Amino acid sequence: MQLIDGSRIITEACVRAGADVYVGYPITPSNWFYAYAQKRFPLFLAGPDEISVLQWMAGFSAAGRLPVTATSFPGLALMVESLNMAHMMELPMLIIVTQRLGPSTGSATTGAQGDLLLLRGALSGGYQIPVFCPSNFEDCWNLTYEGIKTAIRYRTPVVLLTSKEMVMTYRSFDLSSLPEVKKVERETPKVELPYQSYRAGADGVPPFVPLGDATHQVRLNASTHGNLGLIQKTSDEAMANTRRLQDKLEQHIPDFTFYELDEEPGADELIVSYGISADAARDALAELRRRGRKGSLLVIKTLLPVPPAVLDILEQYEKQVFVEENLPGLLKELIYGHARRKNIRSVNKIGSMITPSEILM
Amino acid sequence: MTQPILSTNNMPFCPGCGHGVAIKNLAKALEEAGYSPLDVIVVSDIGCAGLVDPILATHTIHGLHGRAPALALGVSLGLSSPGKKVVAIQGDGGATIGLQHLLEAARRNVDITLIVLNNLLYGMTGGQMSGLSTVEFKAGKQITDDTPPFDIVKLVHEAGAAYSSRITSPGDFKAQFLEALRAPGFSLVEVACLCPSHGVKKLKDLSIVALGDLKLAHEREPGRAAFRPTEPLFAQDKPERPSYRSNIKERLGLLIAGSAGGGIQSAARLIANAGILSGLHVTMKGEYPITVGTGFSAAEVILSRDKIHYTGLEHPDVVVAATEDGLVKARSRIHAHTILVLDSKLKEEAFPNAVYGDFQKEAGKQGAALSAAARWLVQEGVLQVEALLEVARKHKHGEAMVEVLEKCKSVEV
Repeated sequence: MQLIDGSRIITEACVRAGADVYVGYPITPSNWFYAYAQKRFPLFLAGPDEISVLQWMAGFSAAGRLPVTATSFPGLALMVESLNMAHMMELPMLIIVTQRLGPSTGSATTGAQGDLLLLRGALSGGYQIPVFCPSNFEDCWNLTYEGIKTAIRYRTPVVLLTSKEMVMTYRSFDLSSLPEVKKVERETPKVELPYQSYRAGADGVPPFVPLGDATHQVRLNASTHGNLGLIQKTSDEAMANTRRLQDKLEQHIPDFTFYELDEEPGADELIVSYGISADAARDALAELRRRGRKGSLLVIKTLLPVPPAVLDILEQYEKQVFVEENLPGLLKELIYGHARRKNIRSVNKIGSMITPSEILM
Repeated sequence: MTQPILSTNNMPFCPGCGHGVAIKNLAKALEEAGYSPLDVIVVSDIGCAGLVDPILATHTIHGLHGRAPALALGVSLGLSSPGKKVVAIQGDGGATIGLQHLLEAARRNVDITLIVLNNLLYGMTGGQMSGLSTVEFKAGKQITDDTPPFDIVKLVHEAGAAYSSRITSPGDFKAQFLEALRAPGFSLVEVACLCPSHGVKKLKDLSIVALGDLKLAHEREPGRAAFRPTEPLFAQDKPERPSYRSNIKERLGLLIAGSAGGGIQSAARLIANAGILSGLHVTMKGEYPITVGTGFSAAEVILSRDKIHYTGLEHPDVVVAATEDGLVKARSRIHAHTILVLDSKLKEEAFPNAVYGDFQKEAGKQGAALSAAARWLVQEGVLQVEALLEVARKHKHGEAMVEVLEKCKSVEV
């Protein structure tokens, strides 16, 4: 065992998975990433603001690098337009978002789970970027790797959604229990000639060739474009390309569906949680069972796009308890919208972590 | 003869627009400098300047309004093969939206040539004035506004650009583009022209309404990206076996509170590490205001025989407060069963069951919290003093901690 924090585990996993550039602007509670990245990343750059950070990252990604940053809501807000750009250009990158208490500047040193729907709605038109959410240190390691793998495999920005309590809490942890993380190798693209930056095969993912390639002309574009990467207003080709952005992720969701399900036969109640509230839910479930009652627990780790497998599990339980550190119940809203539903209980709180006993009430 | 940079001579701009002249000059300069089309990456902005992609045989990347120089910075530093040239093209609107990006690229002297096609107005949205519209131009447009324009040639020069210049006379300015392309690092060429759709009806003479020709340079090394090998942040070796005893049976939660600079976080980390050496599961987290050097500082440590999931501390079993700041912070979390370990100076407070000690006096401001917490933990058999000492001895600045802990030996049971 050794004493370690989530920021350190995530930073190390990034570099082992092949991330080579960290571009950062300091913001609490993401500062430990900034500090560790300075030591660990092959290249570290201090951006002058978060818009620059994401633009620089997009440039690095377009040149074939795998960039990472870490931020919190105020920085994420500045990044939103550039996130749309990176999504439209189909540029792999990892953005670590450490949630803190909002709204606005809120309280920088207090954790929260308040940014899920911001990420769901960040792209104009409702397009999605994968959002992975670690619920413990094993997840910090594994989901970082999966995030980078998903970013490269599907040419997309990926968000790792954490919280202050996940990345600034030390725990005794056996690092030798973590699986080996190897560099995510990019496959040599199977290029059909002439190369077109956005012509995709059956899997919906266009082969990636970096800017500066000596053989193929590469054209990347943040505006609505055809296969070649040149602006086309609403031509059939451009609309097909834009629809592909939606289909590309949808058709591969099973490849990046992550969750933990602790099912008890005969249980009719399911506790549903994610991220920093998941550990309280684990303790609550154990206590419930100690008391001789039945219950199951679903910890969702792929929050976006919502995996069909998660919906399948939810459909099997009549009673559900949604546990999340925000007031309106953002995960519940993500799944059920504003529809009135019976038998759903919400455990919500702001300002401090939800306790196991609050879940059991 | 290298291949042509332009794939067509038909410019995508309005008839009579100076942008076309600028792009043709740029293409000629790139060819004369020896660049093949695939050696060049053009980063285009939004607006009229962003219409260039389809006429170029180069790599192209078309991004957001105002961000071309920032996107170009990432591309330039990210390229893995040498001999490439990154050219960013934007208008006066883009240059002012993202002014920070021009300054930052210039400050770092990153190898980019930025062409600012300045037609003194926002062409695509109806001819509104920009931050580069001169007072004379505005007067010619019947707009009374004596706010002077930015001089971006001077601004990027002040920020450190290797080369910056402004061209206001139409014709052949390939030579200036060549100078810019050959400058070691960041170069900017502002090409002023009049917009045939919104600007020239009454204004024919560019020399009256634009800032004058200018050329500035710095001798600087270009800013480069030094990718370097690094060491892992941790090893994944099999952990050593714990070698100390602890008598705790259940979970024990400590809240250590004091003042900023009082060694609270170090004390808590030391205790957590000593817990691990004693075969316990531990968590430790700090709590502090945004300010770093003033106000309270508090830390929570949980020691447990079993694996810890939830890391919150609803009701601390033990509260250690070495200063008034700390006690104020901890007060709301003190319950009937909380064990209190307080400095004697806080004795006037009404806590009859508290354990008091002269921690500040004996261990000083920085050692008081550690002294108080360690004494209690050792006295109760939660941790052995040797476990704490072993951690302190390995600590970079552990001498003072060792000194504090040595004094706790006497209370060990």
